[in-house]
Amino acid sequence: MSGSDAVHVPERRRSARSEPAGLGRRLGSLDVVICCGSGGVGKTTISAALGMAIAAAEDKRVLVLTVDPARRLATALGIKGIGAEPVRIPKARLRKAGITISGDLEAAMLDMKQAWDRMIERYSPDRATTKRILRNPLYQRITDSFVGSHEYAAIEALYELHDAGEYDCIVVDTPPSRNALDFLEAPSRLTDYVGSRLLSMLSGGPSRFGFRAMNFAAAPFLKLADRLLGAEVLAEVSDFVRQLQLLYDGIQGRARSVYRLLRSPQTGFVVVTTLEQGPFSEAEFFCAKLREFKMPLRAMVVNRVLPDVFRDSGGVAASTTLVEDPKVAAALSDELHLRVSTDTARFVGRTFLNRNTLAQREARQLAKLGRIGDVPIVRMPLFSEEVSELEGLVRIAKAL
Amino acid sequence: MSSPPGTPQRSWRPSTAVRSAIAGERIELATLLRRRVIFVVGKGGTGRSTMTAALALLAARAGKRVLAIDVDAKGDLAAALGSPPAGFVPRVVQHNLSVLELRTDESFQEYLNIYFKVPRVARLTPLARVFDFIATGVPGPRDMLVVGKIAYEERRKETGGGSPFWDLILVDSAAGGQAESHLAAPKAMLTLVRGGIIRSQVEWIDALIRDPRRTSTVLCALPEEMPVVEAVELNDRLRKGSGVAVDVCLLNRAVDEPVTAAHRRFVAAMTEPEHESAVAERLGGSPTPLAAGIDLQAHLYDTTARYLRQLRNKLPMPVVPVPFIVDRTGLTTTRAVADALNSRLA
Repeated sequence: MSGSDAVHVPERRRSARSEPAGLGRRLGSLDVVICCGSGGVGKTTISAALGMAIAAAEDKRVLVLTVDPARRLATALGIKGIGAEPVRIPKARLRKAGITISGDLEAAMLDMKQAWDRMIERYSPDRATTKRILRNPLYQRITDSFVGSHEYAAIEALYELHDAGEYDCIVVDTPPSRNALDFLEAPSRLTDYVGSRLLSMLSGGPSRFGFRAMNFAAAPFLKLADRLLGAEVLAEVSDFVRQLQLLYDGIQGRARSVYRLLRSPQTGFVVVTTLEQGPFSEAEFFCAKLREFKMPLRAMVVNRVLPDVFRDSGGVAASTTLVEDPKVAAALSDELHLRVSTDTARFVGRTFLNRNTLAQREARQLAKLGRIGDVPIVRMPLFSEEVSELEGLVRIAKAL
Repeated sequence: MSSPPGTPQRSWRPSTAVRSAIAGERIELATLLRRRVIFVVGKGGTGRSTMTAALALLAARAGKRVLAIDVDAKGDLAAALGSPPAGFVPRVVQHNLSVLELRTDESFQEYLNIYFKVPRVARLTPLARVFDFIATGVPGPRDMLVVGKIAYEERRKETGGGSPFWDLILVDSAAGGQAESHLAAPKAMLTLVRGGIIRSQVEWIDALIRDPRRTSTVLCALPEEMPVVEAVELNDRLRKGSGVAVDVCLLNRAVDEPVTAAHRRFVAAMTEPEHESAVAERLGGSPTPLAAGIDLQAHLYDTTARYLRQLRNKLPMPVVPVPFIVDRTGLTTTRAVADALNSRLA
């Protein structure tokens, strides 16, 4: 075996026999595939490769919806750029890169601002309210930084695209949040906030629930906030909140439909993770939450796994001798008719042992995956994604 | 300030290529540790907590009284210092070194308590939730809680004396974007808040952040595509957004021991069919898997070198590679990183 191949070429899952169908076929019958996981685990690349695998397995119109400002993804897909308008990936180009797709593959990037603006338009009772909200200086900042605001925009866009029915299958790459769970909680969180009784205290008028705004509990807070922020800011906040509450019914209704879609048997979640402690714990937690929310987990992709060769016991024994036996360099010099320095022997041994330590740690993490449930687990070896050419993506798609 | 006492053992040997690449671009550790506040920033997973902890160890070793603050409050910083999770009150983890964890809810109450003499009561919790919502819309208040607490610790004096309580405050900032808004908060707040008693406080906090002698940032990156791109972008935005200085970029998990021709010849000879079995017998196991180790090392070395060049081309400040320490996280790893940093920063 050539060593560099061991590093660069994705290996198929070893138990391939028990999972004869690739992910492309397994997920191909779904309407919506949602890729989740912590930031930095290679979600965007995996989403694109999944879309490719599905389009190869099924004669379907597939859209990959990414939220990443994905210049690299665009390059990898062999197109100039990805914008809010879906771009078709030419079949000829994919064939040349080594994959024949029976369906259609398109990619689009989510425009966060547009998604929010359209949502406000949709749920506002009238044009005046829309205008007032869009003009409020707080609005932009909320949409930028409210916990879950990107997630919410992604879900909205997904819902709309699904509703329009133009695509047979939509693969969504979720925003890189600290908390993968933000994606699932975004709709209910937004509903909670907009409908919150506490918030209505701030709106300065009778709320939709009939609480008096300047009531007993609110007064000290308003006084306090006034000292903290100054009166002008408070007036802006209060106006914004009042407008936002007019949207409550729309937002609440939509949240219900969105959750119905997320729980539908036609939807599937794919959790992407690496074996690093942080992302891995997050993935475990996320899988548990999916079960709790009754949302269907369909597959797990474990990215950047060290090849099995680093857990070879013979290799460990040989390396240990190279590192620890002071006489080994001389002995091997005789055997190989090659001058081998102690440093060289140690370096070669140490290099392997370092990777072995990591590989052992990874294996322990992988063993924990049994607890996650009965879904296919696909391992993608380290560096399979480092190639920013279409061929690299195709290789990952085939390995999936 | 004198350099840290003792000559710590170098756990890692810089290669010639990397050594020459570093030349002329060093920053003195002493210069860095002379700051009052250092924000360690970077994308998640770039080793912020370990770097913060390692710098804290070095500063404490140099005789400074150090406060390490964890803004994310996931307990990673305390763990990297070998301590159980800390709280909102500084916890002493070793001589001259304390750690503190910031959480928004507690910060809010403490903030009201410090600046507005509002008693700390549990009843404030629902208010904090509303405050949270407003705070996301109004850039400032929530971030000000973080920056305000840090500034408060910076200003803190010894009881009965005029000398500062802490010599150096190291902040393990929240991931990328959040750190940015913390640092930009005072500036944003000044344009927004014209009245309210908060203004005068914001003014001096803003002055502290923008003074490069007192406050700076350390940017963490990894030799991978997205972390490198994001480090460059974060540097631009930090400077523009908050006016904070960036002293150094640390490229974590650098693999910079190159594979030489001698290494390759050795592995090739061992794995030749005529030698393989004899070598296996001598070593107690087959040498064949070792080829994969050498290939991976060579690949990682090339990757490290490529991203190091890329960062140096795009960042105006020194970029210093920090070796990949294979140990688990914890104080042992932190010590090894501290030693490596000590030998890397002149």
